[in-house]
Parts: sequence; structure tokens; C-alpha cells
Amino acid sequence: MENVAQTKLRLVREAVQDNVPRGHYCRIISVSAPRRRFPIGLVSVLLTSILVYLPASEVILRRAAGSPVVPVERVNRSVTSAGNAMASIHTPRVPGTPPRPLDRVVFPLSVRKVVIDPGHGGAQHGAVSESGMAEKEISLDIALRLRRLLEGASFEVLMTRETDEAVGLDKRADFANASSADLFVSIHLNWIPRQELRALETYVLGPTDDPAVTKLAARENRDSVYSLSEYRLLLERIYMDTRQDESRRLAKAIQAELYGSVRRINPLVEDRGVKTAPFVVLVRTEMPAILVEVSCLSNQEEVKLLTNDDYRENIAQALFRGIHSYADNLRGSEEKVPKNGRKE
Amino acid sequence: MDEKNEALCIGIDLGTSRSSISASNGERHVVDSYVGWPLDMVARKLTKKTVFIGHEALENRSMLDLRRPLERGVIKEGSDKDEQAVRELLRHLISLIGIHQNRKDRTKIRAVVGVPAEAFRVSKQRLRGAMDGIADTVMLVSEPFAVAYGLEALLHSVIIDIGAGTADFCVMRGRYPTEQDQRTLPSAGDAIDEQLAKLIRERHPEVQFSIHMIRDWKEKWAFVGKPKRRVMVTAPVKGKASDLDITDELRSACESILPPICETMLDLVANVEPEFQDKVRHKVILAGGSSLISGLTDAIEKALLDVGGGRATVVKDPVFAGSDGGLAIARDASNSDWERLSAAA
Repeated sequence: MENVAQTKLRLVREAVQDNVPRGHYCRIISVSAPRRRFPIGLVSVLLTSILVYLPASEVILRRAAGSPVVPVERVNRSVTSAGNAMASIHTPRVPGTPPRPLDRVVFPLSVRKVVIDPGHGGAQHGAVSESGMAEKEISLDIALRLRRLLEGASFEVLMTRETDEAVGLDKRADFANASSADLFVSIHLNWIPRQELRALETYVLGPTDDPAVTKLAARENRDSVYSLSEYRLLLERIYMDTRQDESRRLAKAIQAELYGSVRRINPLVEDRGVKTAPFVVLVRTEMPAILVEVSCLSNQEEVKLLTNDDYRENIAQALFRGIHSYADNLRGSEEKVPKNGRKE
Repeated sequence: MDEKNEALCIGIDLGTSRSSISASNGERHVVDSYVGWPLDMVARKLTKKTVFIGHEALENRSMLDLRRPLERGVIKEGSDKDEQAVRELLRHLISLIGIHQNRKDRTKIRAVVGVPAEAFRVSKQRLRGAMDGIADTVMLVSEPFAVAYGLEALLHSVIIDIGAGTADFCVMRGRYPTEQDQRTLPSAGDAIDEQLAKLIRERHPEVQFSIHMIRDWKEKWAFVGKPKRRVMVTAPVKGKASDLDITDELRSACESILPPICETMLDLVANVEPEFQDKVRHKVILAGGSSLISGLTDAIEKALLDVGGGRATVVKDPVFAGSDGGLAIARDASNSDWERLSAAA
């Protein structure tokens, strides 16, 4: 039996351990070659306007062909024609034959490594509630909780940031790619002008013609540092994303768990389902990637709920169950998704 | 002399209302958590000081940009001035124990700082930033844990640290408390002040008072349950000093924090292994400035009756219980522990 002195010694060690950062702290890989940068405002405006323009051009092409289905090559041409507008200021990359998605049963896949991306950080506060609650803080808190749950279930977890620091959107994606992550989960909080609304939504990469989503993407993309020369590549990725099926499965699993869990505490919350949007952070990642808006900082009731530790934990557990469920489904496991975040 | 003996260990309890420091050189001090800077050149000339801390800041508040930089036990978000104020407060606390900023000796300072049980990680990070350059190595622990450690109440006990900004709960189960063992409530001493001000304003709309007067009254007369005497205070009505009976208002305001505190305590106890719940119920320890509310232990014990009874006590020295506990942790940590913390910083 341990005496008081021994107990104290052990507790001090545990307190020290609690103060030492965890081993998975990420060091973002720096970009070696200096990149041509354009003013962020200009880049955001251009990206947004092109993304709004492209769905419209796709509709025109569809109508011209008289067919509801547009071959991939035709979409590719529309991308190229949009890219031509900028031909004088960049050297276009030559697109190869677009890869076609393979049926997932061809390869036995599994999820081992997950990159969690808490939105914003440092000087980029993200959405801010009337009371001053910042998106960067809540997204980090939930992300750290999610990491704990995933690690408890033997996933390897990497974080794009684990302190209040600014990390570029491109670096977040580069980090996930360089780490050979299996999944990328970006955690954000929404801000909706109609403040009475409470909405949960999960995004995968893709075009949108919804003005509200375009506005949201423009807001979340504000920290983008892409140069104009990279636009073509971005647009190709948005339209021909071969990961979209897997991303969508992951998004559906997460959205279902999140809504099911949150509505028990917050019954007025609205399920907005899985949507597509051109979030820059999703463009560059090479693995199934989603962006989830876990709550609305524009709604005072939700802000109040978010101050509660249990509510944030509840969100993290729902995200965990969504990821776990997707991973189980991928390897066809019969294992049940644990409710408490611990592997059974 | 070995390295451990050469280092100065300190425990700090940074509170929304008061902050205390206990040091291994025997010094112990408490200050009001107020920081103020002269508002303009005239004020600077009059006061002949660049910054005021604690009671002195309160006394001179009419001439100062007065800050109470800690909210719910952590640095207020979004204001550089509040961050600066916390640094000034910390510097002041360190100077009180005889360590000056431009000191020539290079005594290492090892600090253990108590934070609310559920302080956001980001808030902890900002506190570490504020301690930068003030202490050589810093360890942050939850406030109720520091109290439990100082009292050696490490097994089968509940600590309820009721401050101004938060009430922090921690069940001690012989291990470093996890999130499941701890809770933080945002309703504590400040909530009583707000409620008391509201009730007095409702009943006596003509009375003039400030939040500082309210705090003063509360600290002198706060009680729950049956009043032992009528509480009479003096406040101006249209500029004329008048006597007021605030007994009922004070009782209602103080009792307003009881339901969430009792509910949280019972919830935590219910999560303890069933065979130990009785032991835990009989070791409820109250700390923090607001634990001095008269009749509080009786009210807690009354709530415990519903679940089989229990016993509540107030620590001997509620104001220093947190900082003394922090100091005990700082002293017990080995050199290698501090080196580990230093390397991780």
C-alpha cells in the first residue's frame, strides 16, 4: 500500500506530465523555394469569382450538348477556358489524363493516421461571438479532445496546430500530405447572419452555386496564400476530385453522429447535411478530407452551450464516433462504435 | 548547496478578486487583483507612479485606468492591456517576496500556478506567456488540486474552491485529477455581487452605491440560512448618508449560488466508485474567499443529507490554501521534474 509521501511523489510526476506537451506536436514543413505571392484580398476575390463562374459555365455546356451528362473532358475544357483568361500571367500546367476512381473493394484499406485541423489560430480569430468567444479557441479545444479520444482507440493522430498559432492553409494541407495521413478533418464554427439559426453542416471539396456557401468559403479561405499560377491546379482538383466518394462517406458518417448527438442537448439545431464547397484547405490535401462546422457562434444559445465543458466533449465524441464508424466500415469490421470514446 | 536548494520555489493562486503568493523563503502575501495606470499627465503628476497594484489601485481608482484582468480565473481575452495588467500583477507578487526584476543574483524561480479546473488550454498558454521572464520554470495545476495537495487530502475527498470568478470542484481519488474528476462553475463571488446589487437597486432605487461598496458589504456580512443579526449598511441617498437594512437581499444573493454548487458536488460524488462515496461525502473541503460565507458548511451538509449525509469543513486559511498548495508541489517536484518542464517550455 502506497503511503502519503509516495502518493504525493506520484501526483507531482503526473502534474509534470500534464504540463509537458504531447509527442505529436507538429512542425510544419517550411516551403523551401520562395513563392510568388499576391495580395490575399485579390486572390480571395479572384478565386471566389472563378468558382462562382464555373458552375454557371458547366450549366451552359450541358445545355449546349443537350445532354444531362457532361463528359469529364468537357468539364476539363471549361476549366481550361477559364484558365486561359489568366494565360498571360502564368505558365499553365499540362493536365494529365484525369484519374478515374476505383471501386474501393479493389484494395483492402484501413485508417491509421488522422490529421486534425483546428480552424484558424494566432491573429486569425475566425468567427467571433458577440461575447467575444473566438472560433480559433473552441476549434482547438474540440480538436484536442478529439485527439485524446482517437489516440485512446489506437489511431495515430497529428495536429496541424496544438497551440494558438497561425498556420497557413497551404501548410496545413502540405503537413497532412507529408505525413501520409489517411484522413483530414478540419474543425470550424459557423457564423450565420440570421442569428436565430443553429446549423450543423459538413463539407467536402467541390463546386457550389449557393451564394451563402460561397460567402462562407470566401471567409474560411481568407488566409489562403495561393498564387495565381496555382489556380488551374486548384480548379482541376475541385472538379475532378477522385477522393470525393470517400470524403463524402466520411462526411456523412460524421454529420450523422454529430447531429444525432447534438440534437439531444440542443433540440433546435438544424441538420444541413453534407455539402460541397471550394474550401482551400480541402483542395490541396491528397487524402479523404472534410470540413465540419460544429456549431454557430452567431447564435447566443449555442455560445452559451459551448462554454460548457460537457457540450464540447459531446461534440468531440460525436466526431470521434463518425471517424470510427467510417474506419470500421472501410475495413468491413463488425466492431461496434464505442459510445464513450474508448475502444471496447 | 544543491540546485534544488538554490532555487526559490513559489506557489501562486491567481484569483479574479485576490491573488496570493507563498514562497520557500517564508514570504506570503495577498493582493487585490486590480491593476491601474494613471489616466493622463495630471494623474501621473499627482500620483508620481506609473502603475498601481491591488488595494492602492482601488484607492486611487478615480485617477486610473483600472483593470481587473482576470476573468473566471484566467486572463481576459482580447485585450493587450489586460495581458499587460496580469504581467504587472505577477511582477508585483514576485517583488513582494523580495525578488526584484533587476536583481543581480540569479536565483532560479520555480513557480506552480493554480488555474481553474477547466481553464481552456489556450488560456493556460496565455498565462504561460504572461509568466515568461518572471519565473524560470512554470507548472500550471488546477486550483482545487493545489489545495488538496497542500492539505494532503489526496484520497476520497472533494475540494470546492469558491473564488470570485469561479467555483472549482475536484474529487481526489489518489491520482492527478482528470477532466472527469473536475468541474468549474462560473457562478461564485462575483455572481453574488451582481445579484446583491440587483436586489438592492430593485428595493431601494434611490440609493447610490458602487460595485466596490457591494463587495465590501458582502465580504463583511455574507451569510446563508438564518441570519444571526440584521445587516445594516450606510450608503448615500441623494448625497445624504442613510442607513439601510440589506439582510434579506444579502441572504438571497448568497443563497443564489447554493443550488448549482450543491448539484455539482452531488454529481461528482455520484461518479465516485459506490464503495467510496460515503467516505467522500464525509470529506468535503471548502476553500477560496467565498468559502468564508457564514453558514455555508451547514447548507452543504444539509444538501448531503438527501444522499446519506456527510461533513463539510472550511480550510484554516482559505486565502492562502491555493498558493500554499502550489508551493508544496513546487518544493516536492524533483530537479529532474523541473528540468523536464524547462526543456518542454
